[in-house]
Amino acid sequence: MSSNQTATATPATRNFWNALRRRALSFFLDWLVWGYVAYGVMYLLNKYWWTVPLERFYSTLTLPSWGWPLAILGTLEMAVWSRNLGRSLGLRAFGYEIWGADGKPPTLSQRVTRALLWHLSVLPLGMGIWLSPERPWHDQGAGTVVQPAPATRLAGRRKAIFSQWGLMSLFLIGFTIWLGWLIIQIDIGILFRRGDEGMRIWREMLHPDFRYFAVPDPAFELRNLPYSILDMAVVTLFMALLATIMGAAVAFPLSFLGARNVMGFNPVGWLVYFAMRGFFNIFRSIDTMLWAVIFAVWVLWGRPLAGVLALTVHTVAALGKLYSEQVEGIDPGPVEAVVATGGSRIEVIKYAVLPQVTPAYWAFTLYRWDINVRMATVIALVGGGGIGDLLFYYKNQGDWPKVGAVVMVIVAIVWAMDYISGRLRERIT
Amino acid sequence: MNRYPDGIVKEPPDWLSRRGLLDALLLRLKGASQRLSIVLLDMLAIGVLWILVSYIISWHAHGVIAYTLVPWWLFGLGVVEAAAIWESFGRSLGHLVARKELRPREGGESTLGQRLVYYIGWHVTVLPMIGLLASPPWHERLAGLSLRPVSMEGHKPAPWWRTSSGIYVAVFLVVGLAAAVSVTMDEESLTRLFTQAGRTVKFWKALFSPDRSIILPSIRDLLVTVFMAVMATAFAVVVAVPLSFLAARNLMRGPIGRSLYTVLRGTMSIMRSIEPIVWAIIFLVWVTARRAPFAGVLALWVHSIADLTKLYAERLESIDPGLVEAITATGASRLSVLRYAVVPQIINPYISFTLYRWDINIRMATVVGVVGGGGIGQRLFFYLKNLAWQQAGTVMILIVILVWAIDYLSSRLRAKLA
Repeated sequence: MSSNQTATATPATRNFWNALRRRALSFFLDWLVWGYVAYGVMYLLNKYWWTVPLERFYSTLTLPSWGWPLAILGTLEMAVWSRNLGRSLGLRAFGYEIWGADGKPPTLSQRVTRALLWHLSVLPLGMGIWLSPERPWHDQGAGTVVQPAPATRLAGRRKAIFSQWGLMSLFLIGFTIWLGWLIIQIDIGILFRRGDEGMRIWREMLHPDFRYFAVPDPAFELRNLPYSILDMAVVTLFMALLATIMGAAVAFPLSFLGARNVMGFNPVGWLVYFAMRGFFNIFRSIDTMLWAVIFAVWVLWGRPLAGVLALTVHTVAALGKLYSEQVEGIDPGPVEAVVATGGSRIEVIKYAVLPQVTPAYWAFTLYRWDINVRMATVIALVGGGGIGDLLFYYKNQGDWPKVGAVVMVIVAIVWAMDYISGRLRERIT
Repeated sequence: MNRYPDGIVKEPPDWLSRRGLLDALLLRLKGASQRLSIVLLDMLAIGVLWILVSYIISWHAHGVIAYTLVPWWLFGLGVVEAAAIWESFGRSLGHLVARKELRPREGGESTLGQRLVYYIGWHVTVLPMIGLLASPPWHERLAGLSLRPVSMEGHKPAPWWRTSSGIYVAVFLVVGLAAAVSVTMDEESLTRLFTQAGRTVKFWKALFSPDRSIILPSIRDLLVTVFMAVMATAFAVVVAVPLSFLAARNLMRGPIGRSLYTVLRGTMSIMRSIEPIVWAIIFLVWVTARRAPFAGVLALWVHSIADLTKLYAERLESIDPGLVEAITATGASRLSVLRYAVVPQIINPYISFTLYRWDINIRMATVVGVVGGGGIGQRLFFYLKNLAWQQAGTVMILIVILVWAIDYLSSRLRAKLA
């Protein structure tokens, strides 16, 4: 953070608004923290006080109708007072501190005054800030400034662990573990109480049954799947291979459309850029498994094509993002040189961009292939086909020795692919 | 080896000395292993191509999967013969990769007769593997050919379609792609792909008209998912940090340390190869479906431990040893060395990796729910199974928002830490 963002100085307006935005964000962080604490307290009250007697009880939040405004206002008050009476988590996260205008630490009366004036200054639609953005009313009235904390440690400052934000962080960590423990219903004991069951699974899996490694299991003839484990392993590899090739082939041209330094020259270019980036981000956030469900309904459930399509869509989005970030990170020198000689946009890509990004493209593609192999082994769960089909079939039959065999084959495949792609990537970069 | 320029060493190397014998043996072993790896690579290339071709043929002709179409001994024989022919009469893939070529020892172009002798001699030499220990090997001596580094003098490189390796690679790509396409795509599902798109219309529509009545319960499940990721990451860190010190090559010296390192790295690598979903089905049976979120947390926990240990240990392996030596030189205890030399170098990357893993865990937690691991994934899968498209779309929107937000937050924080 630059040092000219102090509120006492009169820096450029833009800097000032930037600082104000950060102050607002830091305030919202505090509010969020207290909101989280309120949620946790409500949860604990629900759990221990007026418990809803439900077997599957978790994260239920019951508030009376008047409780919501109360909770919102209460957390707001907590945020304000915690910011003014010490160095809160929000202030610390954004590196701010409250100081007296005379350059001394603020006195208690200054702090209290600031907290009280805050209500007059901010609650009426933030008037105190809009009318006096250089130094909001509550700072003026209390004779304080909010400024970036000095980089060096000041003498006499408390140790982090005894400051408000330190204590608050410790509390939040403990509180989260406590809440999580209850919400997830963590019960270490059950691992031991059902230890026999767990050990049985492990024992049986470690005595794998490779009877149907090369010979198709007769059980699958009913489902018209005359495959052995080996056949399915090959199919899985092909699925990943095809998805990677198709995904990379689609992502390659799209990546240039999603790169700022290629597209950002006119409004249409910007539009395409943002459309591409949005497409990449949204399609990337939907996991491959979820895509597989959609495609399994579309083409048939359990067919490898569904898995291939799901992997392809996710690959396009993921590779497109990686590729276009790579394009954005290139050295602009060659681009300018080609532009200066009057090259077209295609020529710029061909002679200035491609030579710089090709190794990285290969590395990303190999990396993606590795991920696709991993995903392809389990995508059968949602109807995507591949070796996972056998895995989940045997698991549903409770035939753990065969599950063990399939898992071992999966481990071998994934491990080998990981190794090969790692070695190849090392050679490329 | 002992190839000193004449002007410096007058005496020829003493072949009868131990040193000289060892050198000669090493030279021959090196030559043999190089030729053997060329042969093995060629056999592998031909074998894989054969398997792919028979895979396609049997798939289309008989509708079953078969890998060789012939008895395995015939397959083995064919592969060996094909490799011999390829190496004798052309420049094989193995030669290409090793950047070698067969040329007459006296220079000039090789004749067909020489190649034939080479081909026959190949069987006598390479198959029993004794002749390979001669330097140069017997078949090369007989034919008057030798395997030499490629020289580009005097002739232009041939275009790829005129070289056997180029043709091989092209055929391999086409056949491989054909095999991949033929096993993953069948007529029925392809037809449906182009005719049955309407089946998903309801789902896409739901993305724009979410079912608002399930938003609140879905957000509760979303919170469970977030907590699953948080708990799994937190517990994984507690285990992975100490393990990472045991899995760092530069810290684990000596026989005990090195074997511990190998065992740990191997275990972690196996644990990492098993997807969290597979872990989840094991743990679900163990802790029963009544505690679905707990099973999900355990699955994510195990996978996170393996992943984080690897990331942490790799970071530890690349610390600057100078600082460690400097602090050690002041006579500091091991603990002080750790405190003042190691920890400052690793603390930020460790936090950064943890955030990254948390980000991944959130995504994985939604997926683990699909097998019944609790949280939002379970709800989503329930809707999808019951073809409740509108509800499924609503949940999907929430997941995308969550994943997006966490992704943004974690990448911003990591950028700050770096």
